[in-house]
Amino acid sequence: MGVASSIRFAAALAAVAVLVAGCGGGGGTASGPGARTTIANIGSDTMLNLAAAWAEAYDRVDPSVSVEVSGGGSGQGAAALINGSCDVANCSRKLEEREAGEIRSRRSREPKEHIVGYDALSIFVHRSNPLEEISVEDLGEMYRDGGTITRWSQIGVTIPGAKGDAIILVNRQNSSGTYHYFKEAVVGKKNEFRLSALHMNGSKDAVELIANTPNSIGYSGMGYATPEVRQVRVSRKRGERGIAPCAVSALDGSYPIARPMFMYTAGEPEGALRAYLEWILSPKGQEIVESTGYVPRPAR
Amino acid sequence: MFTATPQVRRKARTEAAARTFFALMAAAMVVPLLAIVGYVVYRGWPVLSWTFLTTNPTHGGTQGGIWSALVGTIYVVFLSLAISAPIGVLAAVYLNEYAKDTWFTRVVNLAVVNLAGVPSIVHGLFGVGAFVYFLNVNGGKKSILAAALTLAVMTLPVIVASTKEALASVPVAFREACWNVGATRWQTIRRIVLPNSISGILTGVILQVSRTAGETAPVMLTGVTTWKMIEQTGLFLYHPITDQCMALSMHLYYIQTQASGAPKALPFAIAAVLIGAVLVVNAASIAVRVALRSRRKW
Repeated sequence: MGVASSIRFAAALAAVAVLVAGCGGGGGTASGPGARTTIANIGSDTMLNLAAAWAEAYDRVDPSVSVEVSGGGSGQGAAALINGSCDVANCSRKLEEREAGEIRSRRSREPKEHIVGYDALSIFVHRSNPLEEISVEDLGEMYRDGGTITRWSQIGVTIPGAKGDAIILVNRQNSSGTYHYFKEAVVGKKNEFRLSALHMNGSKDAVELIANTPNSIGYSGMGYATPEVRQVRVSRKRGERGIAPCAVSALDGSYPIARPMFMYTAGEPEGALRAYLEWILSPKGQEIVESTGYVPRPAR
Repeated sequence: MFTATPQVRRKARTEAAARTFFALMAAAMVVPLLAIVGYVVYRGWPVLSWTFLTTNPTHGGTQGGIWSALVGTIYVVFLSLAISAPIGVLAAVYLNEYAKDTWFTRVVNLAVVNLAGVPSIVHGLFGVGAFVYFLNVNGGKKSILAAALTLAVMTLPVIVASTKEALASVPVAFREACWNVGATRWQTIRRIVLPNSISGILTGVILQVSRTAGETAPVMLTGVTTWKMIEQTGLFLYHPITDQCMALSMHLYYIQTQASGAPKALPFAIAAVLIGAVLVVNAASIAVRVALRSRRKW
């Protein structure tokens, strides 16, 4: 049995070695060739393309820093910031008071908000849909559980080549910041989404479904517009003039469903992270906001 | 003289029909594989090239290549196998060669079987809790090592099972002959059992490459990120402990669900590379197995 125990010992030794190697490197500092300072960036799916574009461009600005971008939704970004598994969280909505409180209590730091750009939420319909403009009120009646509008004919729309008249609502998954913003701005905080609305995992998925479904209507960041869908002008109230989503209307507040995009850090950012955030807010970084289809911050 | 009676001919017809039917069923196995590989390669062909493999993605993944994802997959897969293969093989040697049928071995065997049945997303959640937060592998952040450890836990039971099977295929008479000339258990394992089962053991381990390379859920939660640029050349492109990495499976998911404006061929090209890499590894394992078999004398 001496041999048996020595084999068991060897196996145990291997396991321990692996674990020790794992614990040793907790510092997050770079060592050895190819290793670089890393910035972990998690959050909003709406901002995922933008965050990836920043990371891509920053690789050329400062090659000693490597930005790691993950999606999952604004909620996931906030959660990661709370338990310290990311350095900076992307949020397409404001941090909730509960989340901010948890950052204070768990990380003992004050959450710091950075407005990094603006997003106009576009209302998309199929390209054959003749709808020109829609009011936030009517959208609410469509999306709200118990709302009165369920058929296109109710708002005077007939879609050539479509089967039937029912409105197919395209929605997002509930960890999406876009979902929460739309609920707040259109459906109403106290109301629920209509149960028949289709929940899509991703802005691009939502737009693609609309592109393939003549009866559908849905929402996504205006950066996700494709030639296969049409963006509808949006007005605040029935009878008012609809406003097209664009940089100007998003910034001056005339477009009713536009929102700032945030990045949050736990405490004042330092070192490489501070440099990264400053670069994002610089003209170079804001150019990327524009080129990915969002609205840059107004020049100071 | 023999002449075919109607009865004989009828039998022959039935025989032919049965054979054809079974052969068709066997052929049906090949159809989905060929269809998948063929369709994926056909759709992805316009994008596939050497530069596609060796350049980082650009323009939010809609252009450029898949370098960082390809390297990331290689890192995660091999690191996880480097952890799980030694432990799994040694555990299987103990269970098959040393252990008597006691409550302890029964518990271990039961654990192995049940661990193999745990869904991969559950492994992912376990990995987040155990490796990312509890062991704090990278200061509470996701890391390549945490992902590799998670995948190692996932592949361990399968490696144990396949290794045990390979060991059990070595006839008991071989061991008895060896013991009878005075060899110890360890000498028997070292000289007789392992050399005769090594091809089977390797096959079992290498088959896990395809499994780990394809997993998305467990690594997405523990160490794989959507976007990270790495250098084009060099030996240590990722730091296994402090870095997260991209992976082909996750990149495929990202391109398909998030990246707008990507060419339609791109997801298929990524899938083709994933399948291709796995096929290459499997082919290598077959070559090794054939080479080892040819040395076997029974």
